[in-house]
Amino acid sequence: MASRQDDLNKTLVALTSSAFLLPAYQSAMADAPPEFTEIGTRYSKYKEDDISAKKAFGGRSERYDIDVAQFYLLAPVSDDWSVALDVSWEDMSGASPWFVGESIEADDAKVIMSGASIEDTRTEVSVTTRYYFDSGNAGFNYTYSDEDDYESKALSLDGSINSEDGLTTYSAAVSASDDDITPTQGAYPTNTLDATKDVRSAWLGVTQIVSKRALVRFGLSYTYRDGFLTDPYKYLDDRPDERKEWTVSAGYRYFLEEPNAALHVDYRYFDDDWGIASQTVDVAWVQTFKDTTVSPFIRYYSQDEADFFSNIDYEDTDYFSDDYRLSAFGAFSYGLRLSHEIGNWSINADAERYQTDESWGVYGGEESPGLVEFWRYGVGLNYAFK
Amino acid sequence: MGRIEHRFKAMGGPCCLRLDANDDVMAKRAIAAAVAEVVRLEKKYSRYLDDSLTSQINRAAGAGVPVPIDHETSALLSYANTVWEESQGLFDLTSGVLRLAWDFKSGRCPNQLEIDALLPLVGWDLVQREQGSVYLPRAGMELDFGGCVKEYAADSAAMQLRRSGVTSGLIDLAGDMAAFGTPQGNVSGTSGWPVGIRHPIEKDKAVAGVNLPEGGLASSGDYERCLHIDGKRYGHILHPHTGWPVQGLIAVSVLAAQCIVAGSSATIAMLKPADEALDWLDNLGLPWLAIDADLNCHGSLVASQQLSPG
Repeated sequence: MASRQDDLNKTLVALTSSAFLLPAYQSAMADAPPEFTEIGTRYSKYKEDDISAKKAFGGRSERYDIDVAQFYLLAPVSDDWSVALDVSWEDMSGASPWFVGESIEADDAKVIMSGASIEDTRTEVSVTTRYYFDSGNAGFNYTYSDEDDYESKALSLDGSINSEDGLTTYSAAVSASDDDITPTQGAYPTNTLDATKDVRSAWLGVTQIVSKRALVRFGLSYTYRDGFLTDPYKYLDDRPDERKEWTVSAGYRYFLEEPNAALHVDYRYFDDDWGIASQTVDVAWVQTFKDTTVSPFIRYYSQDEADFFSNIDYEDTDYFSDDYRLSAFGAFSYGLRLSHEIGNWSINADAERYQTDESWGVYGGEESPGLVEFWRYGVGLNYAFK
Repeated sequence: MGRIEHRFKAMGGPCCLRLDANDDVMAKRAIAAAVAEVVRLEKKYSRYLDDSLTSQINRAAGAGVPVPIDHETSALLSYANTVWEESQGLFDLTSGVLRLAWDFKSGRCPNQLEIDALLPLVGWDLVQREQGSVYLPRAGMELDFGGCVKEYAADSAAMQLRRSGVTSGLIDLAGDMAAFGTPQGNVSGTSGWPVGIRHPIEKDKAVAGVNLPEGGLASSGDYERCLHIDGKRYGHILHPHTGWPVQGLIAVSVLAAQCIVAGSSATIAMLKPADEALDWLDNLGLPWLAIDADLNCHGSLVASQQLSPG
């Protein structure tokens, strides 16, 4: 009798999965522009922990703080066009590692901070137009960013096409940016007075709906950087003027009708010709209760160091950097995202804690005393003109 | 605002949309989209309309040229193929041609010769399905999507309502229903749309009431069109292999996540001998209700919230 039951349940599975391939059961068929104009604003704060006296000469020191205010507008222009405008203002202040020196008393490396001398503001304006057609959409973006010591102009094109059965989406994007670096002159010498940097990148992706509840996606990207890639403010920094980066990524989404939630799992592998490799695993649970969405997430990141990374410049190599961002380390970040809808309004808030340690990584390497830990939190408000 | 009800006629029967909306304009737009979807599917698949795709496919039967079809049609045919396989050949989109022998209005029982002449035109396994085309190899063969399009239309119209921003709605296409969301004003703790399953003979009465949650309810019945000859009842559900009416249940209703799956399950049960059908439904794993020729009710929905027939 049990096997009979199994057979019949197989009937139900066969009927249900065959029906699922019909267009009516696929929520994302024809691409369409947003139905309503939406505006939103957001404030977020990024605050690095103080660097401890153990890790820095001159005692405990403040690090970077960034305040960000954003405004966005997304509007349908016609049945097949939309336009989006994003503007953001950043206010940055604080100190960052200037270079790493050797401590005489303890025979270990410590950071010499730049002093609370950095004060900069950045303005970014980004315009995206998107065209929608039956089987996909295509977008064009221009972004201009300006701060005291940096100017960037970037263009990007992207497109995605859905297969006729609506189960597969192919995406591609290319982008290019031209950046000008003109370091602010102050108490410390900088590594350049005026330099440029170009970035070109390409991305390919495919998303496949594998069942009524699950989808997978894969991505492949290549980025080529050319120009002045050295940090202008880091005293001993001297990096190659070319960098080639590859990324492969995979993601999985699983939707549960009960309890109305989705599980997101993402993995990313990064490799470049500076000897840096990294791996990222992201796991998020997106829980929806009527008008409220709560999403706890955790991310693990591990990075191998650049070939020319060293705390102390005693090897005579072509290039050198003691920047903690090029060192080997492991990091965890975890946090919570919340959003709540009230009529045409939606409010959202999020908080994230990032912690790092050389010993948490899967790659071995020299521990940088400059590793950063930070908090990030934000609140936002959106309104849809329904 | 609140509950909105919209009645219309399509697919040969009375249809009704019920939805909860707080915005009049949005509700009107949603209703228009849902009705348009039902009309679109009727125009595309009705065998009564000369310019439908179904008529085009049927006219080309035996003519040697496959008829190009779109993705939706090809997905429907492949769904029909799954149902055919799962029913061991009982559910057959080509069996509609048998109605040429069975004129239920005439009150006349066909002779075996008339039926034998039509049987070679029935056979899903003869249908040539290729990527992007379909071909009926024998002149006179017919496809009839009647066995699944109304249910599919209910699901698809429900999807249109959702896409238009409706959070809770019910589509009823002459008894085939699709619902989603929790209707406003439900007693706390209950979810789903309250609907009734019609009594097979006394049309205004319900044999059972059920709260239809996310998903579909479909019914298949043999009570509306049948012949009574010499005290024997001949229903309109014809066995595709013999060409004779199946002596089975007279009504089956099934509840499933999709109306189309509910509909196919009810149809398969109607095509089986009564005892076998009750067993099959019992094991399928979906809530169901069946009425046998003696008007006895069976199934998991009977006990649920039976309404008094009076």
